[in-house]
Amino acid sequence: MREKEEPMPVSTTASEISKSDVKTTVVLGSQPARPAKAPASESLEAVIRSKDFSLYYGAKAGVQDITMDIYPRSVTAIIGPSGCGKSTFLRSINRMNDLIPHVRTEGVLAVDGHDIYDKRTNLVSLRQQVGMVFQKPNPFPKSIFDNIAYGPRLQGVRRRGELQHVVEQSLKAAAIWDEVKDDLKKSALALSGGQQQRLCIARALATRPRVLLMDEPCSALDPIATGRIEDLIGQLQSSYTIVIVTHNMQQAARVSERAAFFCLGELVEYDLTTKIFSNPSKKQTEDYVTGRFG
Amino acid sequence: MKLTTRATLDKLFTGVTGLSIVLLSLVLIAVLGPMVYRGSSAVLFNGTVEFRKMQRELFNRGDEKELEGEIAQTETFRQGVYAKIDAFKRGIDIDAMSDRVRQINREYGKELRYKNTPTEEYTELRSRSRDIRDILEETFESQDIALIEDNVMEVLQAAQDPNFLGTCAEEYFTIARNFLAAAKQVDLSRYHEYVAALEEVELLLFGSNEHNGLLGPRPEEPTRAMARVRYGATRSDQMRELLDRFLVAEQWVPAEGTDSLVKVRTPRVEQFEGTSLASLFPYVEENIEKLLNPRFTFYWQFFVDDNVNSHYFGGVGPEILGTVFITVLGMVFVVPLGVIAAAYLVECSSDGWIIRLIRMCINTLAGVPSIVFGLFGLAFFVLFLFPLLGFEQKPCILAASLTLALLTLPVMIRASEEAIRTVPQSYKEGSLALGASRFRTFMTVILPAALPGILTGVILSLSRVAGETAPILFTGAVSLGPVPKSMFDPTRTLSYGSYDMAVGDRLAMMVPHNQYGMVVTLIMLILILNAMAIVLRSRVFKKLKGH
Repeated sequence: MREKEEPMPVSTTASEISKSDVKTTVVLGSQPARPAKAPASESLEAVIRSKDFSLYYGAKAGVQDITMDIYPRSVTAIIGPSGCGKSTFLRSINRMNDLIPHVRTEGVLAVDGHDIYDKRTNLVSLRQQVGMVFQKPNPFPKSIFDNIAYGPRLQGVRRRGELQHVVEQSLKAAAIWDEVKDDLKKSALALSGGQQQRLCIARALATRPRVLLMDEPCSALDPIATGRIEDLIGQLQSSYTIVIVTHNMQQAARVSERAAFFCLGELVEYDLTTKIFSNPSKKQTEDYVTGRFG
Repeated sequence: MKLTTRATLDKLFTGVTGLSIVLLSLVLIAVLGPMVYRGSSAVLFNGTVEFRKMQRELFNRGDEKELEGEIAQTETFRQGVYAKIDAFKRGIDIDAMSDRVRQINREYGKELRYKNTPTEEYTELRSRSRDIRDILEETFESQDIALIEDNVMEVLQAAQDPNFLGTCAEEYFTIARNFLAAAKQVDLSRYHEYVAALEEVELLLFGSNEHNGLLGPRPEEPTRAMARVRYGATRSDQMRELLDRFLVAEQWVPAEGTDSLVKVRTPRVEQFEGTSLASLFPYVEENIEKLLNPRFTFYWQFFVDDNVNSHYFGGVGPEILGTVFITVLGMVFVVPLGVIAAAYLVECSSDGWIIRLIRMCINTLAGVPSIVFGLFGLAFFVLFLFPLLGFEQKPCILAASLTLALLTLPVMIRASEEAIRTVPQSYKEGSLALGASRFRTFMTVILPAALPGILTGVILSLSRVAGETAPILFTGAVSLGPVPKSMFDPTRTLSYGSYDMAVGDRLAMMVPHNQYGMVVTLIMLILILNAMAIVLRSRVFKKLKGH
């Protein structure tokens, strides 16, 4: 099944899609293009380590034998056709799949060196370490302030001043402070879709996570809001490890440093984004990124 | 399909839907309208001076000076009634006159002894007095006017006798004269009829210890025991009814040639044709307004007053209080219980056979007749649980509330379950992803978002709890009794009160306005409680939606 998205221009070779190109052509009203970051993170210790990780829904495999390292302070994109297990893998990283009955895992998935599927894992602190932003903006039906303060309150922050500080910092980090600073008491549901998604990012940031998982964060947004979120991702990558699932290959090319191509529950190829898009080592990947398959 | 056909069909559908809503509303109005109309007469009516007298004496309400003036005013017209009746009675009441004559004879004897009359003279005078007494008694029994005239003349010969002048024996002659005057006017053969008819007239006007009269007891009569018979017609509708009964006698007589009885209405004035009392009827009819002085009354205290003599007078204050108390307490039990049960069913359980069993039980519970709940409440709460916990073993508000909570639990569970289920999964995910526990997620995100739906359940339960009679029949409701001091006392409620007035109370048919008033109060109370819940729900909803 073909994804409904802008088709890749067939004539363009992948190497031509430099980040600055995309910035100037696609993102409207954005900040100046940030300099292409040198892929220097290889030397760093991986934050998330997946070794032969498999997840089964009953007898059916969601993802199988995923082995990949995700490096800190960079954006890793996971691409692939629908139903290939991208979201399943992403949700495995903060164990959101636990909600689904009859889920079973094999292999190791470690965050900061701790196997998160270990029995002793503290789910609460894991999820505070690994924040998540969902496909559809899902602010709680509370005020903007209460939405952001939700995480800190869980951590036991009660003092009004401290909460205010965290809320302001998070909203500023999510680049939405200027838009909402005057009505923090307003319901979050009164915001527009793009604002809501940035609010959700701010909410995730408020718990001060190390890793931020984004499950197609822009698929429910219009191009302008998408541009804003992408800018935001660019700003955040200097301080957070970001894993983003996306259907939109241009987006993956624009925002990510590394990309992983999933197909039918398996990791086909994982490499620097530039390489994936310009010179993939697998035929399957090439077919997908050039739009011949998927 | 053509576009025009489609548009027409669309319009048709809209029309039909609109029509059905209008029809439904009309039916509702048709049902409620007459009820509200009749019920409102408990609060809005024309109260007579008797009503104000009753309010003054039983509820210590109203201006005393003003009332005294009003009573004096009506009393001037009532004197006419009293005078007419007394005048007629003097010549007509044979038994009373005979009694009086005998009494005079005895008193005269005492008086003679008191004056130390010599024995011979005493004997003679006593015998003369006895003679007069005998003659008079004979005269009263007689139906022959000539004989009566002769006898009276004979008695009156002694009128100038100094032995009788200035003593109580003088009254012999007054009675004799009055009797002759009365006897000349009437058909003597109907004497006994007059006596009976007069008794009825007096009963209809002044009432008795069992019945209310049109005007209430005469001022000189000692206060009657039951408050409800101390007053005449208190309302203009009652006044009209009693007036009609006073003016027209209704009798069931056998129809000619058949065994069946037919009602015959004859003006009562015909019974007294040709007597001095005949003028009483037009007098009362013409002056009825002046006798009772009805005027428009807004008796809002109906909603706060206690009742007097089984709802004969007064209002439904304690009933309202009891209903609110039981309802609110029932809600206090059922809402948390229902929400917790619903939360368990939605959040904490997989779809195993136990859950299916629980669901089946809940659904069955919803179909159990309410009287069964009443008996269960009696057996379990009142007779078993309370003694176990050291409470007094008697029906009380607590037991009633618990029973009602149980009755409406299935409704509450279903509504809450639906509400919790419809909260978007994304809220839950969002909260869990922030590290919240499932309990915390439920309390801080899901529950507030489900609140409008839960409030819908509250609305449904509320009406049920406030209106049910059978479950509280054995567990906490009484028809009469003191206002409860705590939740361990039984209470009166509007629902049970309405039921009791309908089936158990002979008096209720005399005060239909109070009966309807109570039912309408119940409807209003439920409407108000519901309106409050609806306003609350819309506020919560608005807050959630962020408008």
